[in-house]
Amino acid sequence: MNDAEKARLEELLEKVQKPAQYIGGEMNAVQKPWDSVKTHFAFCFPDTYEIAMSHLGMKILYHLINGKEDAACERVCMPCADMADLMRKENVPLFSLESRAALNHFEIIGFTLQYEMSFTNILEMLDLGRVPVLAADRTEGDPIVVAGGPCAFNPEPLTPFIDAFMIGDGEDVMHELVDCIRDGREAGKPRLDILRALAGLEGVYVPCLYEATYHEDGTLASFSPTDPAAPAVVKKRVVKDLSAAIYPDSIPVPYTEIVHDRMVLEIMRGCTRGCRFCQAGVLYRPVRERSMERLLELADKLQKSTGYEEMSLSSLSSGDYSCLPELIRALMDQYKDKRVSVSLPSMRIDNIVKQSLEETQKVKKSGLTLAPEAGTQRLRDVINKGVTENDLIRAVTDAFECGWSSVKLYFMMGLPTETDEDLQGIGRLAKKVVDAYYALPKEKRAKGVRVTCSASVFVPKPFTPFQWAPQDTIEQVREKQAALRQYLKLKCVNFNWHESPLSMLEACICRGDRRMGRVIYEAWKLGCRLDGWSEHFRFDLWMKAFEACGLDPAFYAYRERPYDELLPWQFIDAGVSQRYLMLENERAKADKTTRDCRHGCNGCGLQSWGVCDFVEHPPLKDKEPAQAPIFD
Amino acid sequence: MKMIVVFEKSPRLRHIGHLDLMRAMQRAMRRSGLPLRYSQGFNPHILLSFAAPLSVGMPGQREIMEVPIEGTMTEAAFSAMLSPALPPDLPLLSCRAVPDEHPAPMALLAAATYEARFQDVPSGLGDAVERYLNQPEIPALRKTKSGEKPCDLKPMIYGLTLTGDTLRMTLALCEAATCKPDLLLDSLFSFAGTARPRALITRTALWGQEGGCFKPLEAL
Ligand code: SF4
Repeated sequence: MNDAEKARLEELLEKVQKPAQYIGGEMNAVQKPWDSVKTHFAFCFPDTYEIAMSHLGMKILYHLINGKEDAACERVCMPCADMADLMRKENVPLFSLESRAALNHFEIIGFTLQYEMSFTNILEMLDLGRVPVLAADRTEGDPIVVAGGPCAFNPEPLTPFIDAFMIGDGEDVMHELVDCIRDGREAGKPRLDILRALAGLEGVYVPCLYEATYHEDGTLASFSPTDPAAPAVVKKRVVKDLSAAIYPDSIPVPYTEIVHDRMVLEIMRGCTRGCRFCQAGVLYRPVRERSMERLLELADKLQKSTGYEEMSLSSLSSGDYSCLPELIRALMDQYKDKRVSVSLPSMRIDNIVKQSLEETQKVKKSGLTLAPEAGTQRLRDVINKGVTENDLIRAVTDAFECGWSSVKLYFMMGLPTETDEDLQGIGRLAKKVVDAYYALPKEKRAKGVRVTCSASVFVPKPFTPFQWAPQDTIEQVREKQAALRQYLKLKCVNFNWHESPLSMLEACICRGDRRMGRVIYEAWKLGCRLDGWSEHFRFDLWMKAFEACGLDPAFYAYRERPYDELLPWQFIDAGVSQRYLMLENERAKADKTTRDCRHGCNGCGLQSWGVCDFVEHPPLKDKEPAQAPIFD
Repeated sequence: MKMIVVFEKSPRLRHIGHLDLMRAMQRAMRRSGLPLRYSQGFNPHILLSFAAPLSVGMPGQREIMEVPIEGTMTEAAFSAMLSPALPPDLPLLSCRAVPDEHPAPMALLAAATYEARFQDVPSGLGDAVERYLNQPEIPALRKTKSGEKPCDLKPMIYGLTLTGDTLRMTLALCEAATCKPDLLLDSLFSFAGTARPRALITRTALWGQEGGCFKPLEAL
């Protein structure tokens, strides 16, 4: 930004709500003198500061890029609506928190894709940052716009806006990408040649080097590279050894309150349980644990560098960490005199051991969250959520005994094969949890039991066994919500539900093809942004956008896709094979569960990659072809 | 013992509110490894008190806080531990060791100096300041919890001078009487009959009183 723009920005900051989110300057923020490095990387989080700064992936990559001697990474967040409007009006470009540099001054712009409803923010940020929104409009001097994160596994809806996607774990590929762009620029290569070089890196997808064609009925007819530099299949990147992988030992400590204002230790990546609705469970396979030794070292350094008073352990399924009780004990030991509390999120109900409950309590008693996901055993078998009612009741009883009195239960509505019986089951389960509380003698339980049931709407996701499934229509969902409201009219029970139009849109975008990019563009042009914030979400404008593009949301969300249909994301190899997903889908239809592959490899497809520690458990029937799953 | 610490809240951080600043300081203390003292009770927190909260939007050049510590240590040792733990925009300027019995800075506080730097200085402002101060009484409406109350600002103004584009105001700041710079500026410009121009207001000093004279608060 030039001085005039900076002065205008100062004036804006006096007018907007929550100006502190735009000032940067936090403890541990890295600010390298602009001219001291060759490559400037703008790490863009397509949501507001309070959410961005709560995100672990950003902290890892911020630390990683700033660790490079010849590169600097600066953070850029989506401004709130009031700020965005004023910036446009007063002609102030979107800027980085560190140097207040305009977005278009960076050589590389990187977006992290965490959820579909942040996609219009990407367009808004590019536009506010004076970067051409459409990749096709960018010319030699413009930044190269890259993106990664879970939503990059189906990159197609964002292809009009992103020059290159990174698929899979970011740690290794980020180094290669930054170096490749630096070398290309130094050698004075034209933009297209740099992109072609990027396409040669494992795990990198450069959409302009591919072409998609469609059948008359709108389904994908073909998808292939148009350039010899581009591979036909893009394989996800996997960091094999998490203990050796880079992890921040110091992170920026925000001044203002953010969603998760604490240090986070990622203890493990991946999950072996194989819940059939869960996309993360597939994308982050295989399971890799960070060693206890490394975790304790990081915990110590993080505490010293941040001064945080709270730490949380993060992973998809922390209870599966092989020495969780030891880890908690050691952390508590280490933190004894430092007044740091340890909290354990996302615990699964079937492995909450009373012992860890007691230990967490000694440190901090946050609300207990459990996710049975479905109301009946039959439906839990369909989704392969290996949890029984007894597990749940035992877990909450333990928790009530340890002094908890409020429990959150997460459910999903609209799962494949769901009937009214399953919804009633949610009510019955909630009632049993309340009963479990009252079954305890008064002196053994804390006062005032509260059970909160949240029901989200099921969204079929790519790379899950349900990727072919239709989503319930908005009307169906509304009927089910009304029914569920009746079933949950119980003493001590609250019910929260999600808006179904948002879930429908999510279903469209996450399984969308290239043409979905036009809808996103149109929606943004019509004024959509901050879609994840209910006060800004404009379903009507999104529907207008679909209409303007001649596309039908029902085609993407409500249609059951046949196995022989070419899926837009099929060219990406997530390690778990399409065949395995199909077999899992068939088993779901037959109400059959599949074991947790910690107890024996199910042959998901990753076994040939040499990255999965659990393959060594020999398959039960080794005569079977490698791809065939082996079940309990 | 305790330390009286002088620090700066730099202009970059002016939009940070008092509670956020306090949390930032507490985290800095925790990073420092200093032998801190904690409050009693269910949720113990670091004992730390500021002489006077700073409003959102205002930088402070010489802000003051009191930090009780366990045992004794030299001022040099204290600042060697705290300085690196502070964010670059909250630098430590000086510190002074005092015994526990020493009164809290908050209790000694009498006045503060503020500097308002105007983007455009209205012509004739210098004259207006002079006439403003020459009034026998300076009536104003002070906002309180129970609505607006009339008051006389005159006894609360210890100094008011315009130099170039900067208006320097030394105003009462203590439990008995406080005049916020906003109140003074509103009153001054309504007296002058011109719209109040945009200004960056910085708190530049905090004062206590000794023998009828103002002395820097940290030196008392
Ligand atoms: S390769 Fe086998 S053990 Fe590894 S994740 Fe896949 S099914 Fe599980």
